[in-house]
Amino acid sequence: MSRYLVRHETILAVLLVLALIVLSFQSDRFFTVDNLLNQGRLMAEVGLIALAMTFVIVSAGIDLSVGSILGLVAILLGVFWQNLGLPLPLAMVLGVVAGGLAGLFNGIIITRFRVPPLIATLATLALYRGLAEGISQARSVRGYPEWFFVLGQGEVLGVPTQVWIFLVCAAVAAVVLGLSTFGRATYAAGANAVAARFSGIPVDRTILLIYTASGLISGLAAVIFVSRVSTTRSDMGTGLELDVITAVVLGGTSIFGGRGTIIGTLLGLMLMQALKNGLALAGVKGDGTIVVIGLILIATIIISNLVRRETDG
Amino acid sequence: MTALIELTGISKSFAGVRVLQDISFDVRAGEVHALVGENGAGKSTLIKIMGGVHRADAGEIRVNGQSAQFASPRASAASGIAVVHQELLLFPDLSVAENIFVGHAPRTGWGALDWGKMRSRARELLDRLQSQHIDVDARVGALSVANRQRVEIARALSQDARALIMDEPTASLVEEDVQQLLAIVRLLRDKGVGIVYVSHKLPEIFALADRVTVLRDGTRVGTAPVAELDERKLVSMMVGRPIDQLFPKQETKIGAPLLEVRNLSFGAVVRDVSLTLHAGEILGVAGLIGSGRTELALTIFGITPATAGEILIEGKAVRIESPQRARDLGIAYVPEDRGLQGLVRPQSIQENISLTVLKSLATGTLIDHRKEEKLARDSIAKFGIRARGPRQIVRQLSGGNQQKVVLAKWLATEPRILIMDEPTRGIDVGAKSEIHALMSALAARGLGILMISSELPEVLGMSDRVLVMKNGRLVAEFDRMHATAEAIGAAMTLAKAGDNTATDASGEAA
Repeated sequence: MSRYLVRHETILAVLLVLALIVLSFQSDRFFTVDNLLNQGRLMAEVGLIALAMTFVIVSAGIDLSVGSILGLVAILLGVFWQNLGLPLPLAMVLGVVAGGLAGLFNGIIITRFRVPPLIATLATLALYRGLAEGISQARSVRGYPEWFFVLGQGEVLGVPTQVWIFLVCAAVAAVVLGLSTFGRATYAAGANAVAARFSGIPVDRTILLIYTASGLISGLAAVIFVSRVSTTRSDMGTGLELDVITAVVLGGTSIFGGRGTIIGTLLGLMLMQALKNGLALAGVKGDGTIVVIGLILIATIIISNLVRRETDG
Repeated sequence: MTALIELTGISKSFAGVRVLQDISFDVRAGEVHALVGENGAGKSTLIKIMGGVHRADAGEIRVNGQSAQFASPRASAASGIAVVHQELLLFPDLSVAENIFVGHAPRTGWGALDWGKMRSRARELLDRLQSQHIDVDARVGALSVANRQRVEIARALSQDARALIMDEPTASLVEEDVQQLLAIVRLLRDKGVGIVYVSHKLPEIFALADRVTVLRDGTRVGTAPVAELDERKLVSMMVGRPIDQLFPKQETKIGAPLLEVRNLSFGAVVRDVSLTLHAGEILGVAGLIGSGRTELALTIFGITPATAGEILIEGKAVRIESPQRARDLGIAYVPEDRGLQGLVRPQSIQENISLTVLKSLATGTLIDHRKEEKLARDSIAKFGIRARGPRQIVRQLSGGNQQKVVLAKWLATEPRILIMDEPTRGIDVGAKSEIHALMSALAARGLGILMISSELPEVLGMSDRVLVMKNGRLVAEFDRMHATAEAIGAAMTLAKAGDNTATDASGEAA
């Protein structure tokens, strides 16, 4: 797209390399294949949702309900399988579809009733979490069959299964956002929804699809989450939306819409995960890690704003 | 006689690009000094230097013969210079009096705001502007554009400004309000205020100014008393070449009906409108702001689908419920508000032009970037868009070039019917005549053009027929022979003979 994006991503890439070098000196366990693959495993759920969130934020929206959708789908998966006695594969599919419906509901509130995305998804954040808690009655579901754990704990060709899923989704997202007519409609709707509509772009349909996709992918992340931790609880994914949004914004996507790339989001995700893990291995406590991530977020935005002011003329 | 403000040898660069070079300019007490030039000539920068927003790299500013340095707008205001900006900088939720005294409100001995004094002084200031009808307690957001502008002028005067800089004050006013504004400017001049008047509208300059300074590409072309100039001479100074004709609509053969609208209504804003647009025809639509002109266009284009009536395209009845549908039927709409409705300004020329034709540029769903770039390059060449290349951000272009991008993106759809809403608003003379020439060429190729315009000379010069709207209805129609400024002006403002006053009154109430 513009020179600015290349620059933001360059800054991020440099920061990521620096972080990797510094962190590998802090702990000899950090820069090992095992550790890095394991980090990929831990990153996959946030990563998957961040892909959809990139579309959401580029379209000048926000989706705060993704963590709650994840919790709700996790609970529904357990209910469909254990309480209703459905076959597990069917329960998995229905769970993901339920996530999609939750996203579609967000989209309908936003496009039909013109509720600002921040308010709409803040409301459904509470709504979906409340549903999850009500349905689960604080009971957890365990005892999933062995094959189910392949998704969250297994490996394919030496790489965690969910990392493969994530990479495929990332490639699809990058192509759709960067190269397709749908991606172009997303950018136009985010940068100037009125002009997009006046140009014959179906803005409402685009927004509706984006929130539906956000729900679907949160549902997929939920299934992977349950498989990774072998259990279902209603508080799963609490606060996840903040990690997701941080990664996307760190990746250079403008919170005002119209700007951002999947590559940027990937770099943002990796930088965030590297810091979390590396600092933990270096003996920094959890609180310290959050402080560092906050500072890095502010610093990258300031740097790229400075660079942008110079090139914008 | 010493000048109120005197600039000598002013130069200014931004990021290495020289925007002003060795400019000398002065304004005296009791004169209107017009500052003209095409967009990008450096007028805004010069104004901002006088207003204390920018600092000159070189040169001297003298106020009343004293050398001055403006570090901030506040310093400039303290020397008696006030600026009325093009986009009015008012607080819509505050009252008229509060807006006039924002930042320098009168205070009581205790330091609290002196509301009584504030209101009475606001009243005085507005009365001086012959604006007795504006209530000092009214919310500014509820006022008309013309009245808001008076509030802005009152604000300037409240700081005892002796020099007033007005940046395109009539750009968003209708003709009637323009005349009243000109009267106010004359009034201020007669009271000894020195006025710098920036405008694209040449008739205003000849009606108002004592002297004219022309800028082009950051240099001063000349300063002359207005009596020594005529329109032709002034235009050629501005663009650096003579422009033969401002409105070059050629005679074309008027063909078969393209668009027929029958008894079309949208709520109460478009009522029972019937019209026919033929191939090769430019059909002008005149009317005051709020007369339903734009609303008619929005209804035909499917933004606000019709609530009653029918639309026929080449004799076939169609339903237009969305802009997509309108586009697919061969209708293009160049909207009134370029920045908001016409363009995605943070995006490149290429991305803007392709937005209307994404599907035809894509194989499957993936956009063919080479085709897209070629379309943009062709458009830049065809429409004479002055830009660095297809990837330049649209926001960086001048108004005229932005408008050409809007035209390019819609002509890429190969429309048969082109609706243009204020096609040359806020565009300099050179680009204006280019757009007029283009419209004429399009009509000659058999397009039907529906042109909505607030500028009567444009309507008169370009249209084959002129329709006049008032209160959502068509109230008059003139052919080229009978269209005169007086006749159209009368139809716009007065109830036409035979148009019974009862409907008119109900329209006013609606």
